[in-house]
This record gives sequence, C-alpha cells and structure tokens, in this order.
Amino acid sequence: MTNISIAELSKELREAIDQLETQGNLGEVGVVVRVGDGVAWIHGLRKAGYSEVLLIDTDEGEVEAFALNLLEDEIGAVLLGEDSAVKAGQSVRLKGTVLDVPVGPELLGRVVDPLGRPLDGGPAIKTKQRGLVEREAIGVMGRKSVHEPLMTGIVSIDAMFPIGRGQRELIIGDRQTGKTALAIDTMINQAKQKTGVVNVYVAIGQKLSKIARLVDRLKQEGVMEQTIIVATGPSDPASLLYLAPYSGTAMGEYFRDNSQHALMIYDDLTKHAVAYRQMSLLLRRPPGREAYPGDVFYLHSRLLERSAKLSDDLGAGSLTALPIIETQGGDISAYIPTNVISITDGQIFLETDLFYQGIRPAISAGLSVSRVGGAAQSPAVKSVSGNLKLGLSQFRELASFAQFGSDLDAATKQQIDRGQRLTELLKQPQYAPMSIWQQVVSIMSVSNGFFDTVPASHIKDVQSALLTKLWAEHKKEMQTLDKGGKPTEDDVKLVKKIATAVAKGFEDK
Amino acid sequence: MARRVSRRVLAEYVAEVIVGGGDMPLTTQQLAAHLVVTRRTKELDMIMRDVSFILADKGIVSGTVISAYELAQETKKAIQSYVADVSKAKSISLSYQLDQAVIGGYKVSLPGSQIDRTISHQLTQLKTRFKKV
Repeated sequence: MTNISIAELSKELREAIDQLETQGNLGEVGVVVRVGDGVAWIHGLRKAGYSEVLLIDTDEGEVEAFALNLLEDEIGAVLLGEDSAVKAGQSVRLKGTVLDVPVGPELLGRVVDPLGRPLDGGPAIKTKQRGLVEREAIGVMGRKSVHEPLMTGIVSIDAMFPIGRGQRELIIGDRQTGKTALAIDTMINQAKQKTGVVNVYVAIGQKLSKIARLVDRLKQEGVMEQTIIVATGPSDPASLLYLAPYSGTAMGEYFRDNSQHALMIYDDLTKHAVAYRQMSLLLRRPPGREAYPGDVFYLHSRLLERSAKLSDDLGAGSLTALPIIETQGGDISAYIPTNVISITDGQIFLETDLFYQGIRPAISAGLSVSRVGGAAQSPAVKSVSGNLKLGLSQFRELASFAQFGSDLDAATKQQIDRGQRLTELLKQPQYAPMSIWQQVVSIMSVSNGFFDTVPASHIKDVQSALLTKLWAEHKKEMQTLDKGGKPTEDDVKLVKKIATAVAKGFEDK
Repeated sequence: MARRVSRRVLAEYVAEVIVGGGDMPLTTQQLAAHLVVTRRTKELDMIMRDVSFILADKGIVSGTVISAYELAQETKKAIQSYVADVSKAKSISLSYQLDQAVIGGYKVSLPGSQIDRTISHQLTQLKTRFKKV
C-alpha cells in the first residue's frame, strides 16, 4: 500500500464504484455447508464448471475458491486464501471465469504469488493481458522439433546432455546435491550470454529465506530484469502450491506465444505432488499408490506438455522446462520420480556420493540422458564432445577396476589419467557459467591431450590460464568461436599452440 | 449395506408429493424417519433447499426480499414482476423481511439465485477490491 499514490488510489476507487453500479443482475448462489483445512463444501451452484472460480461473501470481503469436486449433492472447492474468514452459511457466487493470472512483460523483475499479486513490496501489477492458469497444450501441427540450443553454461550439461529450446529436462537428485544451483546457473547464463531467454522460476513451498537469497543473487548477477519469480512458501495453503506451476507456465506462455523464448524452472514438483495429494485427500478422492490420487500423472503431464517449440507459423517461440524432483536416498524408481522421468525428454541425475567427493556439479554420467537435445547442440560443442560421455563412463569403470591392482598397461593408464583430468575439468563453481568458446577450448585441450603433461590437480589452474591468455591475445578468434560454429583447423592449431605453451608452466608444480 | 440415497433423490420425492397434491403429513413422517435412521438429520436444511430448487424448476417459486426499511408498494410490485420475468414461474410467493444490517437497498433471494443490491454487499466488494490493490 505504501507505494500507491493518492491519485492511483482514487482512480482505483472510482473504477470499483463504476463496476459496482453496473452489477446487480440475478446470479446463481450457493451456500457454504462446511469448511475446514482449506476446503469448502458448497450446496447449490448447479451451473458451476470444473475449475471455475467461486466468490464466497465473508465479513472480511470476498474470498476466492475454485471448484474441484463436482458431486451430485455438493461442490468441493479449494480456497485460495485463509479459511478463517469462511463460515458455514455464507453465500457463494460464481465469478463466471476460470482462474487466470496477469501475463506480459510488466511482470519481468517481479516476485509474485500464484495469483499474480506482488510479493516484493513493489507497485500493483497492471498488465494488458491475462492468461489462463489451466490451458490446453499446443497440438501436434503447432509444434516443431527441438533444434536450437539452450546453453546452461555448465560444461558437463552442454557437452554431454545438451538441452534444446522447447525441451523438458528433469533435474533429479537427493536433497543438498545442487539441483537448484544448476537451475540458477542456467538462468544466470541466459543473462550473461545475452540469449534473450526469459526466466520464470516457480518456487513451490520453498523456504521464504531461500527465495529472498535467490532474488538478491539474481539482482547481483543482473538477471532479475529478465526473470519472473512465482513464489509460494511452506505456510501457504496447498491450493496456492498446487496452482504455482500452472500460473508460472501461463506467464511463460505469453513469451512463447509472442515469438520469444522462455525457460521454466519448477522447484520442485515433488512438493507440488504432495500439495495435490493433500488437497485430494481433503476432497475425499480415493487414494492410490503412496496415497497419491489416481490422476497424479496427469497433474504433471498436462503441465509439462505446455512446454514446446512452436512452429514457424505460430511464431517459432519456445518454452523450455527444467522441472526439479527430490529423491529419497537416491531412489529414482519411486512413484513421482518415475512419472516425471517418463514425461520429460531426459534427466540430469545428481549423485550424493559425487557431491561429497567434491565433484560438483555432481552429475551422474551413467544415469543422465538428454533424449532430444543432441539435435540442438551447437556445432562447436558437438565437434569436441563426441565421445566425452563414453570416455567418462569408461574412466569411472576403469578407475574402480584399477583399485584392485597397480599393474596397468600404458593405454589403460593413459585413459585413467585423461579421465581424471576430464573429471577435474568438468568441476565448475556455482554462479560461474561458461560461454561456448570457453567450453570448446577447455574440452578440446583435455580430450586432444594438450594437457596430458599437467597433473590432474592443476587442471583448473591451467584451464584458467589458457582461457585468460586466449581472450587477451586472440579475442577476435574466440568471439567467432563463441557464435557456435564448428572450429576450423586453424582454431584447433591455435588452441593447441597456446595450450601446450601454457601447460609447460604447470608441469612441475 | 443399502445404497445411500442422495439428497437430490429425497428432494425430488418430496417435491413430487407437493406438486402432485399427495399425502404431505405421511411424506413428512417418512422423510423424518429416514433421516433419523440414516443419521442424516443435519442435512435437513439442504434437503429443503433442494426441494425449493426443484419446485422452482417446476414453476413454483418462493423467495425472500430483505431490506433495511419497509419497501414502497410500487417497489414491491416491481420486484414481483422482475422475479416473474426472470424465473418464468407460474406461481410466485415472496416474503418480505427487515434487516438493519444491510444498511440500504434490497436483496432478493430465490431458490439457487440471488440479486444483491444492498449497501452492505457493495461495501464488502469494495473491501475486497482494496485488499487486492
């Protein structure tokens, strides 16, 4: 309220009065029969549709709810606010619309709740358009295959599990394995590389302190201007947690439908499924496996199906999704993880063991996959990362085998050494996404053996020295390489020359 | 175990008896006994509301008009003709009640529908509007 001027307030008041004066037609009404745990049971309203918004007249003003259970005798509606003001006997009216939220560029840089109300203390959000929270996904003919890269800036992902615009790539792992960090780095990379991709981060039941830290960080990195945050905390009603990803998607779809590119991050869908389970149990829907309702698969499939690469006729925009799932004890065969794995176009699996070994990001090369991203990988990265995944997997197998004996042939020893260097190279600190040329040069240097004389423990130092030298002395060539084209023979020769020279300084250390 | 009879089915039975001029005291006793045996006496209000819905569908509308002050005869007439117009009912009976809490204006409550032109309702809407801002 503090930021609203008197003039603005007065205008709002006039508009409200005008609207009131035009109302007054006979409308259908029902009555609240009972209420509790965020669910109101309503008698009457025989014309109410599924997911339609209902208005409950309370002493504190109108409270919104949406109809989820349409039964013969009554309607089960989930309240979109506190249930303390709602009492049995209060009258309920139909709003005449299904749920919608404000959408548009006005939301960029803002933190909002799933109904589009600002949470950042900023002024009221006034957009020209509103988008439906529940909307059908684009059909087959409106789509195009994924072919443009969405660079995350994380070498191991861009090289081994590339993500394309319009793809759905799951980030899965136990708690505290760096799932959110991967998503945040991807958001930061969009700003650093000036890709123009709009980020929509949906926090589902996340601690508010964590969201506040994230906002601060995004502001520091200059990413907030192209980011929308849809935030819900652990104390919010389950209905808001349930709505958050759908609302966020509606906001992202605006950019997709206007020939732009947007990136959705759902952090995380495990909590979303839990919120939906709570609602379903309170609505007395029959519980199934792990007490989830029967339509929990549809809950996530209809959400993720809205992420797509649009055809040229529809403007060629895209909506990429990075849903996050938290596993328990690394079990990816649990109910919700298997559901979301089967819906998405690949997954990045983060391992606790790798994380505590200091291999961060702790991406498991064996269990991670990108099913459609290969077609979207930039030629530059593709040319150097051909057998990276295979080499890394072979190294991990050989390394565990080599623990049993020290008599190794030269070829095996070299493979292990190179694998160790590669593992070191793929370690990357948080908030430091790398551009295409940096990734290409780094991978090329290790996989072509330019750093074979450098001990694995000094790989990050030599990599840093190489990148600094190349940028200082050959900026033009690196800028060309950064455009994503396949490196020429001259480029390879140049990198070899500089890398070999730089490596000499690290041989004896 | 016998299948639970829905409220709507019970209401339809009662409405049929009312419209058809059946034995109302007997029906009342039957319904009361059924509600007691099935432990559903709390649903009585809702069943009555359902009955009024069904009667309205059959052209028999009964409603209430609430206002802060006694309405003029002309206003009552206008409300009666408005209700007849929108409900297309054969028979309309409106009861008039006074309630200072509505402050001003009037509220017409019909089975399953309502027109609320009271000042208290408009104030509630304004309150909601400003909460959102």
